[in-house]
Amino acid sequence: MFFNYYEPTSLREAIELGARFGGDGRFLAGGTDLMVQIHRGRLDPRHVISLQRVPGLEAIEADGTISIGARVTHRRLERAPDFQGALRGLIEGAEVVGGHQVRNVATVGGNIVNASPAADVVVVLLALDARLTCLGPAGERTLALDGFATAPGATALGPDELLSRASFPRLAPRSATAFLKAGRRRAMEISIVCAAARLTLDADLERCRDVRVALGAVGPTVMRARAAERYLEGRPLTDGALRDAGQIAAAECRPIGDVRASARYRALLVATLVPRVLARCLERVRLQSS
Amino acid sequence: MTRIPLSLIINGQTHEVLAEPHRTLLDVLRTDLGLVGTKENCLEAECGVCTVLVEGAAVNACILLAAQCQGRAIVTIEGLAAPGQLHPLQQAFIDHGAVQCGYCIPGMLLAAKAYLDESPEPNENGVREALAGNLCRCTGYQRIIEAVLSAARVLRASPTPASPETAS
Amino acid sequence: MTQATRIVGHSVPRMDAPGKVTGTALYAADFALPGMLYGKVLRSREPHARLVRVDTSRAARLPGVRAVITATDVPDVRYGGSVKDERVFARERIRFAGQPLAAVAATSLDAATAALAAIEVVATPLAPVLDVAAALSPAAPLVHEAWASYTALPILHRAGNVCNRARIVVGDVERGFVEADRIFENRFTTSSVHQGYTEPRAAVAQWDSSGLVTVWSNTQLPFEIQTTLAEILQMPPSKVRIIVPGIGGGFGGKLRIGMEHFAALLAMKTGRPVKVMTSSEEELTAAYARQPAIVEVKTGVTNDGRLTAREARLWFDTGAFAGSGPGVASVATLMLAGPYRIPNLLLEGFAVYTNKTNFGSFRAPSGPQANFAVESQMDIIADALGVDPLELRLKNIVREGEEGPTGQVLTAVGLEECLRRAADAIGWQDRRPEAGRGKGIACGWWTTTGGSSGVYIKVNPDGTIALNTGAAEIGTAALTGAAQVLAEDLGVQLTDINVVSADTLSTPFDFGAQGSRTAFAVGNACRAAVADLKRQILALASKHLGVEEHALTLREGSVAGEGKRATLAELARISQASGGGLIAHGTFVAPPTAYDAKRVEGHVYPAFHSPSFHAHAVDLSVDAQTGEVTIHRYVVAQDVGFAVNPSAIEGQIEGGVAQGLGQALSEEIVYDNGRVLNANLTDYKMPTALDVPRVESILVQHPSLVGPFGAKGVGEPPNIEPPAAIANAVASAAGVRITSLPITPEKVALALRARAT
Repeated sequence: MFFNYYEPTSLREAIELGARFGGDGRFLAGGTDLMVQIHRGRLDPRHVISLQRVPGLEAIEADGTISIGARVTHRRLERAPDFQGALRGLIEGAEVVGGHQVRNVATVGGNIVNASPAADVVVVLLALDARLTCLGPAGERTLALDGFATAPGATALGPDELLSRASFPRLAPRSATAFLKAGRRRAMEISIVCAAARLTLDADLERCRDVRVALGAVGPTVMRARAAERYLEGRPLTDGALRDAGQIAAAECRPIGDVRASARYRALLVATLVPRVLARCLERVRLQSS
Repeated sequence: MTRIPLSLIINGQTHEVLAEPHRTLLDVLRTDLGLVGTKENCLEAECGVCTVLVEGAAVNACILLAAQCQGRAIVTIEGLAAPGQLHPLQQAFIDHGAVQCGYCIPGMLLAAKAYLDESPEPNENGVREALAGNLCRCTGYQRIIEAVLSAARVLRASPTPASPETAS
Repeated sequence: MTQATRIVGHSVPRMDAPGKVTGTALYAADFALPGMLYGKVLRSREPHARLVRVDTSRAARLPGVRAVITATDVPDVRYGGSVKDERVFARERIRFAGQPLAAVAATSLDAATAALAAIEVVATPLAPVLDVAAALSPAAPLVHEAWASYTALPILHRAGNVCNRARIVVGDVERGFVEADRIFENRFTTSSVHQGYTEPRAAVAQWDSSGLVTVWSNTQLPFEIQTTLAEILQMPPSKVRIIVPGIGGGFGGKLRIGMEHFAALLAMKTGRPVKVMTSSEEELTAAYARQPAIVEVKTGVTNDGRLTAREARLWFDTGAFAGSGPGVASVATLMLAGPYRIPNLLLEGFAVYTNKTNFGSFRAPSGPQANFAVESQMDIIADALGVDPLELRLKNIVREGEEGPTGQVLTAVGLEECLRRAADAIGWQDRRPEAGRGKGIACGWWTTTGGSSGVYIKVNPDGTIALNTGAAEIGTAALTGAAQVLAEDLGVQLTDINVVSADTLSTPFDFGAQGSRTAFAVGNACRAAVADLKRQILALASKHLGVEEHALTLREGSVAGEGKRATLAELARISQASGGGLIAHGTFVAPPTAYDAKRVEGHVYPAFHSPSFHAHAVDLSVDAQTGEVTIHRYVVAQDVGFAVNPSAIEGQIEGGVAQGLGQALSEEIVYDNGRVLNANLTDYKMPTALDVPRVESILVQHPSLVGPFGAKGVGEPPNIEPPAAIANAVASAAGVRITSLPITPEKVALALRARAT
């Protein structure tokens, strides 16, 4: 429970400390995961490296490729004017996390690195084909978010690396995003299942040109519903098609039963939320285009 | 474990504290500084009784390290109004019967204040959403929400000048 | 209703609100003394085990540790309210995961936590008795092998793993079933739920040089804790002083001894004050949560909807120690009857030992579980008979002057009015306004628990009044209500009264903040005290003014007559100077409620006193795909006798419904092999501000013959009907009947899928 505390004031200093302490150290962003894990005795770091004075991790950039700094809080994300339109799914994913107190400090980067299979914003970023920029002593590298989490709580981030931002390409025309979650109460809820989609329509506004469907809490990590995506591509998006996509997504997910829900109910929720989140995207694209 | 010197600005006053780095702001407030108006319960950011304002934003003091708070203006319930006075929110909570056991109330008031500071014309759903991180077991929230909406009206009619304590 | 009274009957602001909104009101969790140590309790991980050894030697040597105690440091005493089967620390046998094994006191919480980790426990696991079914099976191991040797209330029916069987028998149920045209048999189950108070249980203990220990704690029953702690310490009660600085919610979870004994024992060992507080995890694993229940109800009814007989059993999993179980099992039988006219009854309540925490009393103990069962079944019956559920109830509810299940005569029966007004308010004539939407109704009754209360009042030299009561204010505003009664009778303002409360040394005895009794009993004690005080005031004024007593009137803080006047302040000063002061006392105990003793066995609570009646109605929609429930409107009509403070009562109703909705929809303590899986607030899901609908309260008033101005107890009832009301509305909206609590979206969704296949 005791640890040394550091407040580096540059990226380089932060990375040096991370490299020095390796597995004995943890970066501290918002603390909403780290501090709870420490309180529950699951983590006992010897060194805690606060990132709050490290510059260069808080920008939201939206000209061309969109980039969200690792230390951007959920609060800033849900208020970002750039995400009010077709990228609304990001706001929807951010605004249901915890309550205001949690969202005021919890960061996007912290969420990604925490690698909970239920992480709401991460599911939306997955549907946006996000790539992650990681900084280490050897320099910078980018990884796809898809596959970044390797198991619950584990990622491909090196022990001496720092996540600096998540980026994704700007949306093609006739695109929209949406996010939905299911839980036992309406706030302060870790998703029983959550689903995000990014949908791009053909010029006829009927047929799916391109789609991403991402799911949370139905596998060891957040996941893409690739079979459902393949099914939808090129297809006219009738109610029946959306329903079928839901069934396909339900069949390809790998939920477990736990104290929050049974595996069967989670699969059932996937079959329900996927059509709903797609329908919402569909409605948004059509509205944007009219 | 070595204690480190911390300079904490609470309700406009600077407090010099010596504390081990792992100590939370909540613990330092209550144990070292005797400011027990901020309450403790779950210690896991789930219940909101420990809500304080840091630079005007509502946060859970139980997961904030005291060491992270150096140089940042903190407001606790003790600083919501000058001694002997009541903020319109506090008056509204009294008038609307929003208080029962009272243990959640300091956190609730600060969460409400942060919300009204940025949303001076709230509706019921907005208030509920803003207070969703503050659990209350006694009231069912109803009169708390009415009190916040009422205080919002009072504040719009005659804005409270920012006291040094609450200026962020 | 309120025209004749100045203060009672009005929604005056509660007296303690200013302290609470400024954060200056002190709670036990805030309390601290100079030189104080911090205590923590080591708890068992095994649900059932032979305890071989607790080795504290390494822990005791850690820096900052000042004491480590185990069973060998404590008198070998078994205590307990109904059965003396409890110990401070486990000795030889561990009976639940979370049972205290040792306690430490150290100079900081961190040091205490480190010390706990350094205590070595050697225990041989035994097969745990996981639930009621296991406990009652023929080959079940005994949770208490020596149960027969325990001291227990003589009235209890105990055998093996059953620590009480309470029973009501009326008429002949077999004959009643023969008379019936149709018989309905249904089974229901409920989960354990936690009171969810936001302030952890806390106690600070300090010994003085005379061998008296003072404990500041957030107990609802300071006098009971005084007795229990004295028993544990093997001291006279006069050597134990309990003071309640303030309580952040109780709901029954802070009735029985919590941290007081740990604090007192550690303080004794160290010679310093010690503070012990629970964590969230301790609350969800080792506190006095509501008993899980299994309810089986068999009811006979004629084709025209008349109830002829009911045979019902309710099994409570009471956990490792009897505690409140035997009493709760008794109350359950009255709730299984409900406020209905049923001529033939065989009703049994069982409290069964298992290897779980000893569950306790939670707001209307047994109420939600029993009411969920019988009120769900009423709708099942109505549905089968093709009659309106409201009409079925109106046909069978008890009426003024009729008998309750144990033969008590029922007066001030406001139930019909509650049902009709709740139904009216919810728009009952249109029960299914649209697809997936439906309305449900449930009704019930409850008691105003007896027990005595005493108060002292004195007049201060400035004319203000000090009210000295042994009752603790747990948040219900009961003491404001009692002060309103006092102010009304004495002719002063509420703001003229200061309350001192809950100190076993200096305040009079009070049976405690339980059973919805506080405003009722303390209010009546105030009335008695004011009567005494008025006699003193008039006698003194008469002498001082030279006017005969019969010509004098006390009004608005003054005594006047024949053109002369003296204020209370003047009289108080005169008395203080020459007579020792104007001081009065008053006591109250409710007269016992007559009942037929031949109808009951093993029964600790054979009648409801000044009973209240209530009806809840809810309008909700069900998402047929996800099973999620959205409540549109929630109405409560509650017969409160007389509304001493309407706003405070509505606040109790709003909060009680919110808490009841948690039990109905989202809360459960989940056990797996005797261990709690969700011992944190992330996964123990209490309703947030986004989950609780507006609650519309209708205060019905059929005055009690006994309560102050006709008031009845109001605090517990709102917790009773929400599960049944929700279950009935879900059945109406979605066509599926969920018979277990909580009614989660998963259960609804899977039931809908099952029905479709």
